[in-house]
Amino acid sequence: MSNLAQLLAMPGASFDTDDDFDAVNALLRDKGWSDGLPMVPPTEQRVAAMLAYCDRPWDAPIAKIAPRWGEATPLRLAANAVMAGCRPEYFPLLMLAIEAMCEEPLNLYGVQATTHLCAPLVIVNGPVARELDINAGHNAFGPGHQANATIGRAIRLALVNIGGAIPALGDMSTFGSPAKYTYLVAENEAESPWEPLHVERGLPREASAVTVIGAECLHNVNDHESLTAEGILMTIAGTMATTGANDIFYAAQPLVIMAPEHARTVAGGFTKAEAKLFLQQHATLPMSKFSRENIERRLKVTYKDRYANAGLDAPVYAVQKAEDLLIAVVGGAGKHSAVVPTFGATKAVTRALRTADGKLARSVADFKKQRVAS
Amino acid sequence: MADLRKRGLTTAVICSGPFLKLGQAQARVFGVPDLPLLVIQHPLGGQALDQVKARADVAVAEFVKLLRRDAP
Repeated sequence: MSNLAQLLAMPGASFDTDDDFDAVNALLRDKGWSDGLPMVPPTEQRVAAMLAYCDRPWDAPIAKIAPRWGEATPLRLAANAVMAGCRPEYFPLLMLAIEAMCEEPLNLYGVQATTHLCAPLVIVNGPVARELDINAGHNAFGPGHQANATIGRAIRLALVNIGGAIPALGDMSTFGSPAKYTYLVAENEAESPWEPLHVERGLPREASAVTVIGAECLHNVNDHESLTAEGILMTIAGTMATTGANDIFYAAQPLVIMAPEHARTVAGGFTKAEAKLFLQQHATLPMSKFSRENIERRLKVTYKDRYANAGLDAPVYAVQKAEDLLIAVVGGAGKHSAVVPTFGATKAVTRALRTADGKLARSVADFKKQRVAS
Repeated sequence: MADLRKRGLTTAVICSGPFLKLGQAQARVFGVPDLPLLVIQHPLGGQALDQVKARADVAVAEFVKLLRRDAP
């Protein structure tokens, strides 16, 4: 069904309240449909404008969001997109990101409900990232761009309002994280010396895509002195190797983000695969850096064959396999990289933006055209 | 666990106090709102083995009660 008036007439699909910003926000907060910030009232007119960029049935779930396993229909997502402040043309990307993070390998149930502080990080690639002006440069992870701020926020609202990631109920994170408000960037393809992340992960260059990672906040790597690939990578590897990371104990896929200046220096000496191998081999700590209890109860249990009889100088790896390490180029000028540990029990998911007929979307306008044509 | 419950087996989920509401919500989501949740003292992580065993004793005793209740 794709008649909005009929859909909104169904029980519980809509609410009447005073036509007043404060009254609408009070209603939404009372319902628990909130990230704590003021929200744009999801009026029928605004939701309709959002759905104009949806070429699939508006009441057919595209995914179920854990831990409530709530049905993510385009209609529900559109309401959350309006509340978050999205422009209508962002909507296809929001739908894609939600579909991707609900794929089994990401383990969204774990990412949502864990005591760990992870959140789904979305990295956008391809022409649609540029079309929507998703920031990939200076302050890409910070404020200033509507697409980064509001698509990421709409994801969070959907995770809370549809998925039930309510603090101390469905989201048991001990600390939470600023990344749980919004966590979406584009890769800086224009300044990357390597092929884009979505191409490396098997999609055609002309595709637009999201890669979703169950990630911690990024941790900065400052290296203003190293002049060689090995030098930059040594500094990054040192930052990756910490005793409290979840990734140590899983076949995890932590992310290394290089700003273009670091990336160019590294690419001067290494392919991306070689850089991954260097990082995997050098991001280590001697077992002596771990507490006695962690050695006996965790390392010697999780990696029994490796550490059962190992000495305290045995290396403990931040990432188990080089090919599992993810590298993306994001950011503006400056001699910085960043390390992004993950929840550990999660795999990155990359998914291409396609119209309902399965074709790769060249533009978000494809979604609007198709609907008008049908 | 929900599937086992629906098949009529005696089932229970063990959780520590702060996770009780999450467990109750999940039981409702999976259609077994009466799934017994056996609450043990929090935390479970970072405990010495005897402390873990003490929590297990609590859970086992509660589960035995369930088995006796369900016994034909």
